[in-house]
Amino acid sequence: MAHSKRNNNSVLPKGKKPIRKNQWFFLLLAEIVLAVITGSINPRFFGISNITNILEQIAVLGILASGMTMLIISGEIDISVGANIGLVSCVVAMMIKNDADYLWIVAVALGLAAFNSLLVGASSLIFKAPSFITSLGFLSVFRGTAYAITKGVFQTIYGKFEALGLTRLWGLLPLGFLIGILIYLVTHFLLKYTKLGRHFYAVGSNPAAAYLSGISIFKTKLLAFLINGLLVGLASMILLSRVGAAQPTTGSGLELRAIGAVVIGGTPLSGGKGHILGTFFGVLLMGIISNALNMLRVNPYFQEVVFGLFIVASLAVSAFSAYSGKGVLKRRLKKD
Amino acid sequence: MSGETLVEMKNIVKIYGEHRVLKNVDFDLRAGEIHCLVGENGAGKSTLIKILSGAVMPDSGEILILGKHVRALNPRLAIELGITTVYQDAELVDSLTVAENVFLGNELKSTVPFKVNKRKQAEEARKIFDRLGINLDPDEYVANLSTAQKQMLQIAKALHRSARVIIMDEPTSSLGLEETRALLTILKSLRDQGLGIIYISHYLSEVFEIADRLTILKDGERVGTYSSKEIDVGTVIKKMVGRDTAMFFQRRRVEIGETLLSVKSLTKNGIVKNVTFDVRKGEVFGIGGLVGSGRTELVSMIYGAIRPDSGEIFLNGQKIAPRSPLDAMKKGICFVSEDRKKYGILPGRNVVENIMVVKNNLSKEFFLNLSEEVALSSQMVGKLSIAVADRDQLIEELSGGNQQKTIIGRWLLNTDATLYIFDEPTKGVDIGAREQIYEIMLELAEKGKAIIMVSSDMPELLSMSDRIGVMRNGEMTNILENKGVAEEQLIRLFIGV
Repeated sequence: MAHSKRNNNSVLPKGKKPIRKNQWFFLLLAEIVLAVITGSINPRFFGISNITNILEQIAVLGILASGMTMLIISGEIDISVGANIGLVSCVVAMMIKNDADYLWIVAVALGLAAFNSLLVGASSLIFKAPSFITSLGFLSVFRGTAYAITKGVFQTIYGKFEALGLTRLWGLLPLGFLIGILIYLVTHFLLKYTKLGRHFYAVGSNPAAAYLSGISIFKTKLLAFLINGLLVGLASMILLSRVGAAQPTTGSGLELRAIGAVVIGGTPLSGGKGHILGTFFGVLLMGIISNALNMLRVNPYFQEVVFGLFIVASLAVSAFSAYSGKGVLKRRLKKD
Repeated sequence: MSGETLVEMKNIVKIYGEHRVLKNVDFDLRAGEIHCLVGENGAGKSTLIKILSGAVMPDSGEILILGKHVRALNPRLAIELGITTVYQDAELVDSLTVAENVFLGNELKSTVPFKVNKRKQAEEARKIFDRLGINLDPDEYVANLSTAQKQMLQIAKALHRSARVIIMDEPTSSLGLEETRALLTILKSLRDQGLGIIYISHYLSEVFEIADRLTILKDGERVGTYSSKEIDVGTVIKKMVGRDTAMFFQRRRVEIGETLLSVKSLTKNGIVKNVTFDVRKGEVFGIGGLVGSGRTELVSMIYGAIRPDSGEIFLNGQKIAPRSPLDAMKKGICFVSEDRKKYGILPGRNVVENIMVVKNNLSKEFFLNLSEEVALSSQMVGKLSIAVADRDQLIEELSGGNQQKTIIGRWLLNTDATLYIFDEPTKGVDIGAREQIYEIMLELAEKGKAIIMVSSDMPELLSMSDRIGVMRNGEMTNILENKGVAEEQLIRLFIGV
């Protein structure tokens, strides 16, 4: 810390943070290493079709993780996003089967998903319960509703509504991936250049101080849930369009992957900190791991195990980086 | 009467940041005595007993318990060594009965394995209560007890664990007269049974009623230890205060204009009662009183963070009823809160964001103007000479004084404001930053702003205020013109003797 006195007119210099101190830098390294290893075992990994495939697979996750990043920065969480996708895609699939107007379909998908997410947020804020718990409750409500309306029947949409998920620009770039990139950019812009983004950080960092500085905690957090819900709606449509069918369990497990990607991207669950760039590389890492496991012909059941461990590991990374530089962990380790 | 020495503390030093809260303090406690600690808010009483109860580690000094050196005291070890601290509420399990709480952790077993012998526990508990002369039903749930009863239960629990030393920090601040009597009687009987009792209280009448000896602390230093027979209330008060003139800030006078803020019969049930006062343009209105006298709650109502039950607030002659901090902010009220860690800083965010948070909130734009942000916050950093390396430095990395200046800078950007409320503006702030903060307040006053300054710091109140409002038990009992007011007179008004 430099404690030099500064004269009145000089402008504060930009901080110099070496690139290797950023969490995304490590993720990038891990991704390169993983790609090289997988590629040397199975050269098809670097094929155009496989890379396109990876980009297509991570589009949905990226959109979800963007919403989750904003929520976690605001000090909240929503673990019902997977079930929310399940319910929304079932409803949308049934509408498509009944040849509803596309405008209606989009409106219902966004509206229903946003409504669901707002339910989670409002119940948490009004009842002063952690959103982890209320979203756990609503997870069951959404999935149960999806079972009830579909009677558990698989909803196929027979080649309709394919444009969103299967279009490839110039026969190469999946449209879903481009939408994902657009969402990352919008999120970045929102977090960095708007009052709302600043409020997300403030309420996540210290709600009491934010309140005394005139920020409405209720409004700010509810907006985070609203944005999260809209992104869930968008993700549901892309997923449904790509898969061509929906069932109540569609999307289940995605919430954990999204949270894992956010946390490993350097956004701590305690809130008030984080960047979308980290989330981008977190999502990419998830995609590469998933694809690599397929390429290396790892038993699909075992893949579940890997993802679970990965999420725990990401939490460990988050804990270590929170302590790093403060010597807390070192001291604790020494004691033991 | 003077039995063996139970506790001896020598040369205790405790430093928080840049602030020495205890400077080579000695303290000792003998068996069969009640030893009272007295001093102003922030004199170091609570820190001293926290060190003895193991909750806080001293930076240097020795602690001897029953003649043995103790290093690395922690709360569990302190209890094992027979030192029990009675807190106002903590330490009891509400959902268990009185007897179960007494035996918590070493339950009496019955013949059936894993089964607790409840009947025997109740009998044993009753025996302890009889010995203490307290009236508690062992089968009552703790949730149904009053504060006084809970304190007595904690004393009983301590006795059951064969404690030799009982520490009580402001036990009577929320008790009624009867309950206080009862508690003091119990403490006396414990003393007669050979226990050592450390007792902290602002109420000097209580202190003189029960103390065998008393130690006076001032600004982290021990003034002296006296037998209660050889000293009287007046002398104690004199010794609690009485500072060098060097500790006082010599401020310049500012011309005082017409009334800006009028508070009329402001009341919040049980906390603030019927408070009425005015603040004029260019005036620094100090609010003093003991911790817990309702000062912070009073100013929070003006700022809209707490809703009053009744009463009126007028700003510039217009009636206002701030619904929220944002509402108050828009009406031109600024509030630098106490306890900047809890209510001030945005940890994990940089200095620029911490400075800009209020200004951004007042703007109607959805988009931020980043270059204006950097310019304004750089200007503020220069003006307040905040020591910060670059614009990405996080606020928690700064020293206490620089954090406080950052938070004040946040409010200085609300240039349309007319009323500034400072709650403990210089707590935990080094002397250099402190004078700078006073300078800022005076500059605001010179611009015709009105200032309310809540403070526990006696020299600060006396050197900065034009007038001083004294809060006691939620009431504003006196409003003094600050002309030749002595520390001693002020503390008498705080305590109410």
